[in-house]
Amino acid sequence: MGGRAYLRGIGAFTPLGKTWPEAARALAEGQVAVQKVARFDVTGFPCAVAAEIADVDRGEAERAGDRRLVFALAAAREAWRQARVEVQSRRLGVFIGAESGRTTFATLLRLAAAGGGQPLFDHAMFGAEATKIASEIDALVASPAAVAAAIAGELGAEGPVQTISLACASGSAAIAEATRAIRLGVCDAAICGGVGADVDPLMFAAFGLLGALSARGASRPFDARRDGFILGEGAAMAVLSSERGAPEVEIEVAGIGRTLDAYHLTAPDPAGDGAFRAMRAALLDARLSAVDYVQAHGTSTPLNDAVEAAALRLVLGERIAEARVSSVKGAMGHWIAGAGALGFLCGADAIVTGTLAPTAGLVHPDQGCELPHILGEAIQKEVHSALINSFGFGGANCSIVLRRAS
Amino acid sequence: VTVARFARPVAVASVGAVSGLGFEWRGLGAALAESAFSFGEAAALKASHPGALASEVPAIPAAFDAGDARQHKLMARGARLAAVAARRALAGTTLAGARDGVGYYLGVGASGGAMSDLLAVIQASLDGDHISIAKLGDKGLSATNPVATFQLLNNFMMCHSAILEGTGGPNGTFFSRGAGTVLALMEAVCAISEGDCLGALAGGADSALHPVTWAELLREGYAERGLVPGEGACVLALAPATDAEAPIAYIDHCSIHWAGGPASPLDLSGLLEGIQSFTDSASPQPRVDLVVLAPWGDRAREALRAFARSSFPEAPMLDSTARLGDALAATPALAWAAALDQIACGAARRALVLSAGIDGQVGAVVLSKDAARRGGLQ
Repeated sequence: MGGRAYLRGIGAFTPLGKTWPEAARALAEGQVAVQKVARFDVTGFPCAVAAEIADVDRGEAERAGDRRLVFALAAAREAWRQARVEVQSRRLGVFIGAESGRTTFATLLRLAAAGGGQPLFDHAMFGAEATKIASEIDALVASPAAVAAAIAGELGAEGPVQTISLACASGSAAIAEATRAIRLGVCDAAICGGVGADVDPLMFAAFGLLGALSARGASRPFDARRDGFILGEGAAMAVLSSERGAPEVEIEVAGIGRTLDAYHLTAPDPAGDGAFRAMRAALLDARLSAVDYVQAHGTSTPLNDAVEAAALRLVLGERIAEARVSSVKGAMGHWIAGAGALGFLCGADAIVTGTLAPTAGLVHPDQGCELPHILGEAIQKEVHSALINSFGFGGANCSIVLRRAS
Repeated sequence: VTVARFARPVAVASVGAVSGLGFEWRGLGAALAESAFSFGEAAALKASHPGALASEVPAIPAAFDAGDARQHKLMARGARLAAVAARRALAGTTLAGARDGVGYYLGVGASGGAMSDLLAVIQASLDGDHISIAKLGDKGLSATNPVATFQLLNNFMMCHSAILEGTGGPNGTFFSRGAGTVLALMEAVCAISEGDCLGALAGGADSALHPVTWAELLREGYAERGLVPGEGACVLALAPATDAEAPIAYIDHCSIHWAGGPASPLDLSGLLEGIQSFTDSASPQPRVDLVVLAPWGDRAREALRAFARSSFPEAPMLDSTARLGDALAATPALAWAAALDQIACGAARRALVLSAGIDGQVGAVVLSKDAARRGGLQ
């Protein structure tokens, strides 16, 4: 691969701020977005808290038809404004990590009613009603591809438009895809990132039943008392370009690594081999053997954090001491398809500002999770390189190395 | 134009395909040329849409199956079919011995679970004539089938078979409304060419036989315009040409062309030039002697047929959906299998496979019996 991918702009729509500077400031101050869910009644659910964006303009959400679109478009606009990239529309790509949108309860109810509303689904009755029912399913909203299509439409991007669905690794995998496309000369610039809007009754039910959510209602990555993750929501977007800009600090996506655990649908390989190989591949790609900062996947689940910590120690060896490690999920929860992109922004911000936010909720690092954590409050450190990890349900792993461009 | 640029030739080492015609990829090409055949009634749609004709995968024989009964219960239909195709593709290749280094890229459609699972949750959550979130938290949770989560995540279309086969390399699932499956092939080819993986699986898996999917296709008028729902999966095992023993063919060219967008007629006026612009003039290639079409719906079919007739008037033309139905994200990959079948049996040396979906993008893949550095068309 010949080309290089430079970071030109970032944008975010988060529970701690509707722009990235607002969110970054809040993170540096140690703010935490996790609180009792306000949008729906959580009585009886396995977890009652989330990092929720509560004050979304209802009219805007209804016009968009999907919260994902509100979040993602806002973040993309911010990143695009900052980037000030001049590129032909056919050389501008869009690479978005997203899962399916949410069909409304009203539609679900109609689907059930069309099936007879009895304990056994009446397929014959459903068939007779099917066309009418289908007219209420807005595929453009429910489709994972809706987000990338909306961004491409608004910004007039006519280059490659990709939707990557890799669960919790979707956002960072989308950034990795954009990097590859620019390196290969497929496009000259790309809007990339991820979005998650899973503070939703059905996702609460699904993840709760899997036992993945924190019963204590706290996100505590790497802490001895961690017992599951907290759902969050938001969008994080970046603009990459083959051309350098003129910011004070230039950043390059220097390394990408992607692997599969091929082990279990929800649990990581306890040996951490897939995570290790992803990080090693990203570091090799960047020609680095150490980094100054690690934005860990750090979900706050017992097994994931221990596996990631062990893999990090293995891949960086003694040079782990040169790095500082934190996870934004303590403050912002787990954005699922948007998580990796949020981590990417944290890594970029660390290089630009030298401000490294702490891992909220981490007070007593667990045995087995020993790392040079950032506890309590933000620190200042000159950061030349950052490693960002995302490890998804199903075993997909993606690691990215950002580096100050020389 | 999005085009795969690869310095090292990439070979198709093996193929696994599951379709309405069964579990063999050999014979698919010849089957597309048959004029006398009839689609059968879809068992999967029999209850909701009795009499609907389809190209439906027959019961999976144990000898071809991947995973056990418990794992099957966790799989959406597309995931189950992908698992069978991936196992067949890997079997017999040298990749089977180094699975940690094998990539996996799959074009997938909407994932779907059993309607009865949905109904159970809603029934338990009803308060009068509306869904109560309080009741969902109270009664609905206990009625929810946790297995549904595994069926609904799109990436699990790939992850099930990756776990079963132990493929640990770079990977991606691309949501496909036409071009995503071609993108999966492009990514695999690039990953191999760049040395990111020793080899890779690439393909597509999908089913149009879920009651809700078919209802949506009915609503959009596809059935009235002749679309026959299908299902299937096809996975190619790819390897660097230098490593492949007795390769079936080589990937000469792989590109995706913007042809107008979802709402407008397909504009293929620049397609031929677009593909030819990547011709390596220093390495002249044999003529394309077969064109296989993989259209999603009548609009795409008509446009692709017109393009093929005018651009390659001497090459025989096959339409994969004519015999295999429309298997959505699986269709482009099944068309590759048909082309490879024709190459393997000596009926063609160089095949162009054109796919077009509802996203207004056209995929172009050239498969060749002869190794090429980088191919365009003549």
